[in-house]
Amino acid sequence: MLRSKTTGNESGRTPWNRFLYNNNTVGYTFASPFIIGFLVFTIIPMLSSLYYSCTNYNMIEKETFIGIANYVNLFKDERFINSVLVTLQYVVFSVPLKLAFALFIAFLLTRPSRLVSFYRSLYYLPSLIGGSVAVALVWKELFARKGLINTNLGKLGIHTVNWFGNMSAAKWPIILMTAWQFGSSMLIFAAGLKEIPSSYYEAAKIDGANGWQIFWRITMPCLSPVIMFNLIMQLISSFMVFTQAFVITGGGPNDATMYYALYVYKQGIQTRNMGYASAMSWVMLLIMGTITAIVFKTSKHWVFNESES
Amino acid sequence: MKAKKVFSSTIYHIFIGVLGFIMVYPVLWMISGSLKNNPEILSGSLNLIPPAWRWDNFSRGWAGFGHVTFTTFFKNSLLITVIGTLGTVLSSSCIAYALARIKFRGRKLIFTVMIGTMLLPGQVVMIPQYLIYNRIGWVGTKLPLTVPHFFGAAFFIYMMMQFMAGIPKELDEAAIIDGCSKYTVFSRVIFPLLKPALISTIIIQFYWKWDDYMGPMLYLGKPEAYTVSIAVKLFADATSTTDYGAMFAMSTLSMIPVFLIFLFFNRYLVDGISTSGLKG
Amino acid sequence: MKMKQFLAVVLSAAMMLGLAACGDKTVSNSDSASVSASKTSVSASASASESTETEEKEPVTLRMAWWGSQTRHDRTVAVIELYESLNPHVTIEYEPMDFEGYFNKLATLVASNDVWDIFQLGSNFPTYQSKIYLLNDFIKDGTIDVSGTTDAFLRIAADEKGNQVGLCSGVNTYGIAYDPELFKQAGVAEPTQNWTWEDYKNACLTIHEKLGIYGSSKFDDWQAGASMGINQEGFGIGFFTKTNDGLGFTDYKMLSDYMQMRADLVDAGAYPDPGACKEISDIENDFVVSGEAAMTWVASNQFVSLCNAAGRELKLINPPRKKADGPAGVSIQSSQMLCVSQDSKHPDEAAKFIQFFQSSIDANKILLAERGIPTFTAVREALAGDLTDVEKAVYEYVDVVGSFDTGGESVNPASPACTDTIKEQYNYYLEKVIYKEMTADEAAKALYDFAASQF
Repeated sequence: MLRSKTTGNESGRTPWNRFLYNNNTVGYTFASPFIIGFLVFTIIPMLSSLYYSCTNYNMIEKETFIGIANYVNLFKDERFINSVLVTLQYVVFSVPLKLAFALFIAFLLTRPSRLVSFYRSLYYLPSLIGGSVAVALVWKELFARKGLINTNLGKLGIHTVNWFGNMSAAKWPIILMTAWQFGSSMLIFAAGLKEIPSSYYEAAKIDGANGWQIFWRITMPCLSPVIMFNLIMQLISSFMVFTQAFVITGGGPNDATMYYALYVYKQGIQTRNMGYASAMSWVMLLIMGTITAIVFKTSKHWVFNESES
Repeated sequence: MKAKKVFSSTIYHIFIGVLGFIMVYPVLWMISGSLKNNPEILSGSLNLIPPAWRWDNFSRGWAGFGHVTFTTFFKNSLLITVIGTLGTVLSSSCIAYALARIKFRGRKLIFTVMIGTMLLPGQVVMIPQYLIYNRIGWVGTKLPLTVPHFFGAAFFIYMMMQFMAGIPKELDEAAIIDGCSKYTVFSRVIFPLLKPALISTIIIQFYWKWDDYMGPMLYLGKPEAYTVSIAVKLFADATSTTDYGAMFAMSTLSMIPVFLIFLFFNRYLVDGISTSGLKG
Repeated sequence: MKMKQFLAVVLSAAMMLGLAACGDKTVSNSDSASVSASKTSVSASASASESTETEEKEPVTLRMAWWGSQTRHDRTVAVIELYESLNPHVTIEYEPMDFEGYFNKLATLVASNDVWDIFQLGSNFPTYQSKIYLLNDFIKDGTIDVSGTTDAFLRIAADEKGNQVGLCSGVNTYGIAYDPELFKQAGVAEPTQNWTWEDYKNACLTIHEKLGIYGSSKFDDWQAGASMGINQEGFGIGFFTKTNDGLGFTDYKMLSDYMQMRADLVDAGAYPDPGACKEISDIENDFVVSGEAAMTWVASNQFVSLCNAAGRELKLINPPRKKADGPAGVSIQSSQMLCVSQDSKHPDEAAKFIQFFQSSIDANKILLAERGIPTFTAVREALAGDLTDVEKAVYEYVDVVGSFDTGGESVNPASPACTDTIKEQYNYYLEKVIYKEMTADEAAKALYDFAASQF
């Protein structure tokens, strides 16, 4: 249908035009920056890391090929297995928390009010200081044994928590910091909300829908591609969580927050077992790839795609 | 009815305001830290008001290292960040158009590969990447920090694809009937309608680029070429004395450009639920 | 309105990009601006690589890098400029860096055979041994004049075979900083040079019991329990052999006691648990500074910062021994050294600079011993007049450590390249002991086996 329209309108006269307006030509023309960039800058490093994963590369001496020994050792390495488990746990907690918070705030800040612009700046600011020394210091002082949070817990009559010393509590300062820096997700949600045509809302209002119905029938379906995007990206970035743990807990106590990317860093950079770290990365690439693929498969049932409907 | 509205509006503002203050508190603490000295910062106090206003942190910090001041660092950061952001916006929107709108052979493969490139941690590709740039003689220049952005960034490509999913396909078809080609559909229809996504890209990419530390660290040689993100780290050393006051002062100043970019572009995202939407 | 203009610009640029078929041409054009912007650095490095080892006084460009804080950056740059003014044919391009960035970049430079001509290394130098240009020949032919320093100071920047890998920028050692007032309040005798780990443990427990504070703040467990700890077992015994090709001890139980003691002290509340240790982000907010602990582990060059931060009298003593009459274990070492790289095209010029950096009185009056105590006698003497009391205490302490009986054995300053890996594993097992997932003996055994498997 679409194809016949295209041919009818603009091409078909000369072979050159037919070539120029062919879907493959147009597609590859627009996609060419990615393809070239991938071939020039990305594929070689990726393949190199795959090769290193089969060597004992230590970044100083010439590597020797050792086959799948690194992969075999990985599954005997209790620290690696632990790092995968704590990473999964982190993903399960942090992704829904951050996304729900970002969506909630983005939605609240669509109100037509002069203050909204100011509020949004307020909520975006924390995302501008990244993993700096200042953040690390504040977080340590907030969650210190005699810090602000414990003081207030004490006032409420709840006994205090040794946040950085208790193996099951240590993940919370990190998860909260992730959720706290939700600015870019919020921004993308806000942009998504902005993109919803106002005519949809007007039509729904004429039909007598209340706020709740409008949210579930109009806002959520229209926003679903953006929700999908934020979900995928948060999944990936949570699997790779590094900075927050690096600056606050350093992986401790007793490896309770030794997330996979942190362990890659420890092995690869700090103790220079780059071959081993590469193997670790490729195992995680497979795990992440599988989970991402599953989410993509389910997306057909809940992501509303305007251009394909 | 009116009273109820005023009431709910008050609740709304109190809630948003108080939560916002809690959110922004650590940032304020850092800013107040730029007016404190080491013992005041490290005392464990979360007090916002500096006991004495130590403005000299700013002059000491701005002086930089050797003879290179933060004037140079800010210029370098701005140049790299603006070029990188521009490159990302232009290239990513083109690539997203191809993947979201054009049914060409191999697009699923390209999309899968693109997602795949995001799944390896930076540390394991750092050295091979460096070797490539070294081979083509780019090390010591700003090229490795800017040129790759003109080849698209997976995060933003995918984001723009999802935003394009919200633009009805009938618009493309109508434009083609009106005489547009598939090339001009992008520039006349899709690109203008992508405004919210483009603005988000600018804000987010500008910050990421500004904040990037590892890239500049590896590829820029001399202090004259350093960016703010490197320079801020140069105050700290675990084995000797760190000047936290000066470091916080420069961290505070370093936030200003990214915040201004946000303020400038944020205006186009806030005017309530879309009033313009689709013009077609 | 402005937004529209902006979009128009972006849009037209986008069309250009899109219509240029590939976009890569446009890219290379638009980047010519940044190429010319960085032209200076390109031409500078080009001239450096073109000029080969020809006559002297031919212009020479050297690259140098170090890690540190603002003070060190400023002073080092000033010395570089002094050297350039005295040697107009030499240009030194320098890269001040932070610790983490420095070693990341060093790793990439090693991989690309492009290490800076002059670079700074700590006690981890054996890792980079293959990249270090040995100074032996320069010392022999007089390019580097070592008559102003002692053999002992040269030794701390040499490998186990006696090759001179660099020149030491500052002498350093470990010690315990303690608050004599808190010891007095708790009724605990001040430590002496012959105190033992038993004394340490009792002091910790008593201070905690009497004053409710930590007896001791965070230690460098690897040093205290393993590296130095094994040295204390007896003269000639070390964690590694003298030749760095294996372990220098046979009984894993030598590692158990320290681990057990650490776990016991944490249990008793006399030593911060891992959570409390995380609250220390810097020597300046150590628990000793806030008065929440009576003693802490320091590197001697950190003692001045610690005292300044604490603002009250602190004293410095050597770490406890295993046996009161046994070896102290602690020895003087090079806090940092400057090395010449194998990739350098002008190793002789680099060596001359290093010699100047360490031995020139003018240079060191700028540096002011910020990297540790200088090794050249004349420099030490020139700086001695301006020392504060605290600085004098550090000098005295380093002298005391230097005079400790080593049983006639020479101290091995180098450790093998796998040290970082073993140290990481040590800390991992130690936390398992503290969290009662392993006994001290199990951890000691596991560590011993792990360490042995590295060779």
